[in-house]
Amino acid sequence: MRRLSILAGATAVLAASAVLTAPTRAAAAAGEITVLAEDIPAGLDYDGPSAAIPTSQTGMVNLMEPLVYYKTKPANSEGIGLLSFGFADANFEGRLAESWTYDPKTFTWTFKLRKGVKGCGGAAFNADDVVYTFARAKSVSGAAPIGWFLSNVASIANFTPDVLGADKAKAAEAQKLGDEVKKIDDFTVAIKQSAPNKLFLPVLTIFGLGIFDKESMEKNKTATDPWSHEYANNTNVPSFGPYCLDKWTKNSEFVVKGNTDYYRGAPKVTRVVYRKVPQSSNRLAAVQRGEAQLVERLTPKEFDSVRKAKGVKVAGVIGNENLFVHMNFKTPPFDNVKVRQAVAYALDYKKIIANGYFGQATKSKSPIPSSYPGFSVSKNQYDTNIEKAKTLLKEAGYKDKGDILLSYVSEKQSILLPIATQIKADLAKVGIKVKLDPLPQTQYGDRQLVKKDLQFALNDQEKPIGVDAGYATLLFFVSSEKGGLNNMVNYSNPKVDDLFAKVKNEADDKIRNTELAEIQDQLMADLAWLPVVELKTQWAFSDKLTGLAWHPDSSIRWNDLKYAG
Amino acid sequence: MTATAPTVGHPKRPRRLIAAARRDPLLTIGLCIVALSIFLALFGTLIAPKSPTEPTGAPSEHPSLSHWMGTDASGLDVFSQVISAPRTDVVLAVSAALVSSVLGTLIGLTAGYFRTWWAEVVMRISDVLQAFPVFILGMMLVALSGRNTGNLIVALSLLYTPIFIRLTRAEVLTQRNRSYVESARAMGNSEWKIAFRHVLPNSLAPSLIQLSVTVGFGILLTAGLSYVGAGVRPPTPEWGLMISSSANQLILGEWWPSVFPGLAISLTVFGFAAVGNAIERRVGG
Amino acid sequence: MTRFVARRLVIAVVQVAAITIVVFLLIRALPADPVATRVGFNASPDVYRKAKADLGLDRSTLSQLGTYLGGSGTQRGLLAGNLGTSWASGSTVASEIGDALPITLELISLSFLLAGAIAIPLGMRTARRPGKALDKAVFGYGLFAGAAPEFWWGLMLVFVFYFKLGWAPAPLGRLSPQLQAPTQRTGAILIDSLLAGRLDAFWDGLRHLILPVITLAFILSGPIMKMVRQSMTRVLGSDFVLYAQAAGLPPRQVSRSTLRAAFGPVLTLTSILYGFMLGGAVLVESVFSLGGLGQYSVKSVLEFNYPSIQGVVLVITVLSLVIYLVLDVLLALLDPRARHR
Repeated sequence: MRRLSILAGATAVLAASAVLTAPTRAAAAAGEITVLAEDIPAGLDYDGPSAAIPTSQTGMVNLMEPLVYYKTKPANSEGIGLLSFGFADANFEGRLAESWTYDPKTFTWTFKLRKGVKGCGGAAFNADDVVYTFARAKSVSGAAPIGWFLSNVASIANFTPDVLGADKAKAAEAQKLGDEVKKIDDFTVAIKQSAPNKLFLPVLTIFGLGIFDKESMEKNKTATDPWSHEYANNTNVPSFGPYCLDKWTKNSEFVVKGNTDYYRGAPKVTRVVYRKVPQSSNRLAAVQRGEAQLVERLTPKEFDSVRKAKGVKVAGVIGNENLFVHMNFKTPPFDNVKVRQAVAYALDYKKIIANGYFGQATKSKSPIPSSYPGFSVSKNQYDTNIEKAKTLLKEAGYKDKGDILLSYVSEKQSILLPIATQIKADLAKVGIKVKLDPLPQTQYGDRQLVKKDLQFALNDQEKPIGVDAGYATLLFFVSSEKGGLNNMVNYSNPKVDDLFAKVKNEADDKIRNTELAEIQDQLMADLAWLPVVELKTQWAFSDKLTGLAWHPDSSIRWNDLKYAG
Repeated sequence: MTATAPTVGHPKRPRRLIAAARRDPLLTIGLCIVALSIFLALFGTLIAPKSPTEPTGAPSEHPSLSHWMGTDASGLDVFSQVISAPRTDVVLAVSAALVSSVLGTLIGLTAGYFRTWWAEVVMRISDVLQAFPVFILGMMLVALSGRNTGNLIVALSLLYTPIFIRLTRAEVLTQRNRSYVESARAMGNSEWKIAFRHVLPNSLAPSLIQLSVTVGFGILLTAGLSYVGAGVRPPTPEWGLMISSSANQLILGEWWPSVFPGLAISLTVFGFAAVGNAIERRVGG
Repeated sequence: MTRFVARRLVIAVVQVAAITIVVFLLIRALPADPVATRVGFNASPDVYRKAKADLGLDRSTLSQLGTYLGGSGTQRGLLAGNLGTSWASGSTVASEIGDALPITLELISLSFLLAGAIAIPLGMRTARRPGKALDKAVFGYGLFAGAAPEFWWGLMLVFVFYFKLGWAPAPLGRLSPQLQAPTQRTGAILIDSLLAGRLDAFWDGLRHLILPVITLAFILSGPIMKMVRQSMTRVLGSDFVLYAQAAGLPPRQVSRSTLRAAFGPVLTLTSILYGFMLGGAVLVESVFSLGGLGQYSVKSVLEFNYPSIQGVVLVITVLSLVIYLVLDVLLALLDPRARHR
């Protein structure tokens, strides 16, 4: 028996050491990269259930092609490519559309489509694909109608809320595409707006209006699923983008190959393995050891730790990410503007930037991202001032009951917990005692968007996907009665509502910007949201990888990259 | 609790326990650890050199004279957190063990003694409870009722009660055929009286042995639930929460915020297990 | 025997039905639903109402239960074997569980094999020579192993063997990123790579499994060893062994019957632990990013993904109950007395 156990032990040790020390495989071939993120696409249908997940969007933008896109701008000092935001034709380049004209009398855009574009299955691109894409969007047949929503935001004619009406027969009629999106010939399409709206071209760049390859989509439709949601969501999304899906194991990995027929030239990175690694520390380790060439969404601290490491580069851009404190206008004590202002004065912004973001953030000057058209530095600013905070609280007659909960998304705890702890300590100094309340993402989302009953929250994931201060205002600050969409703190100020009504259809950029500046002054006076810091969107990557560019959805376009590995 | 345990069933004086401890170094170590953890559960927050819930230093400081176990990413003192955590971990685990042992023993007694449909139902429900995935149940209960100690005690008790039901029932089944039961019945005692007065005291041994082990399980499970995000709210000092929020920092070379709470868990559970083992040997499990 | 099995099967069906309904009601009592996450960008009341209706959440709980069990229209229900569609990804729950389950089975089966290989010989040996140094050492090890939080040990192993020494592969899953996975047949990476004749994938898979398996085996070996020692001690002191020895039966034959008699309690403990580990391996799975059933279940709860929670609970419970049933049958077969009943 003794021999047996010794033998067993020895064998186990031997086997373990042999396997552990076996040589690691050769490095990746040139032109092939491994990208790690906290998840991989959960679905590829932008009208599907997982379109709000950033990694799903990464899958979509790399497989699908838009009609138009922003032109590029020179890279920032860290080498991250930028886009030229704005509303003028000069800000955009044609993608699947070669050129376009706009008729201001009929609000109609006429697109000349590119010829000779081929998708992954070899299907040729033409006007039918564009019409199919808008027809599908208007059908609102998916789990969440993003295509319809974007069209509606851009005032495309007849994309009205009627499609969602409770009366089924009426809704069904409204869901049919009319001549608002019309095929003129095989390579010409006309799209009609119901009113002038600057957001039209910007909206076409968003992943939620990427053009489908109609032929391949229709091959995969079923009687109960005529718009092939099931296929797009679980198997593949056929389009005309730079990459073709090679292998997709949900919850594990997503592998794409360059589309050799891509009309802008075959991608230089020919194969990308996009892999799920939930722990950010594991992603960090992998990029440090050359097992991955690009990793996303590390914590600021982890980015900081490899900033000077050999073979690894860290770069980023202050794009559209902000850290906000939300205070609910319907919940005491935050229904009092003086209490909200006291909170703003109590925060130690320097410490938050230093300890929470390791210097990779700047104090926010408006709730609108500073890179967006229409941004202006608000007249009303709040710097750390404990005495002022105490005075304001006294004026407000604040009495601490010790029952305030500061909520945040528990999945982001490694970033938000140190900051929340800091805020808790800052507020304790002025006599506001708070408890921390981490909530799972889903529950947080439910309370934020549906119940709107989060009293006090710390949030770093609100970024308006339409690149415009006006869009951000509509999304977050216009009152629900006036059509505000994600107004999570129940903010309502008639002045802001009225200003936005003017902004909406204002054609003159200068006047529009003045109105937007007024809105931002008001938002900061009311502290509709308290913007704490603007933070850098960062990546850590192999120093042999170049060409990274930032896009408003924070998804890397792998086609931008070059790898000299 | 542990000191009185062996007196039931096989009467022994505490003094003899001390004598036994002298002969048995493992028991001595175990008793010391258990005593220390109970002491810290009561007074840990009072003797902590710094506040365990507020930043008292720069983030991620190495262990030093001012911060014996360093500080974590939020600047909280690790040592103060480690010694304040028994207030949560030990109290939670001991309460859950007590609740589930009392409930389990009573239900097990009735299910073992009165062999009716009730016994079958109880046992099949226990089956299901035990087959139910622990973490899902824990997370759902916590999501339903909120992240606080009371709800965690309920969740843990629900999980551990079936173990005590099983153990007690098995023992009762062997006891109920003993001759003393017959004699008690012959003397005209009611069945309930026999069950509680005579069978119960004689069927306690397995539960008592299990009690100490269950405290250990409870500490481990509390930590595990924290690791998957269903534990107490931060910054409540709790070992599992400390590990889970500092696990990310290991790769940056910051081992102290996760190593020390892990050692504290191992040591505490080891202590309870050692005491349980000694009881087991004496009671004769 | 047949009657015994049939009776247990009937009970198991009732148990599964009960648990299905209880879980269904429990989920509906949760304080949030995932509609907000689905509509993400655009939570206008109209869109929200539509999304909610699409999930059937606007109907009464009873009617939802009816649909879940019996299906509606062309959609089959649970009674027809359909676990439904995940609300987070749109894939069928059955296919997602089908991917995750083999990962967990592979992990815990290997861990139990390793734990058994260590614990059984050691436990038997210490039972024969109680009180010796080895016995004490093994006893201490058993207590200590049982005291360890497994995720912490997993983290420590990763820290030492990957971060510090660089011996172990990154805890990034079951295969190195660059390696093409073998064609999926069983879902267990070692078996699939052998079936596909892919030795490279086999070794790579094995390398990735070593640390998680060692972590789990370390935890599991403690209680198994203790149980082996206990039951061996009891059997060695029992009348029939003493009698056999006195009668001069050859030691090998005595050994064999001792083993069989001591086997019962060990088997019981092992299968209970195995059932527990189906969902309980989550901590080790998540430390090593393996993506097994435990991680899937935790993710489902965090996402409030009702059909997935329901499906994973059902699968784990059914598997555990099957294991217990097989265990009871095995125990009955092992016990010679059962044959005469």
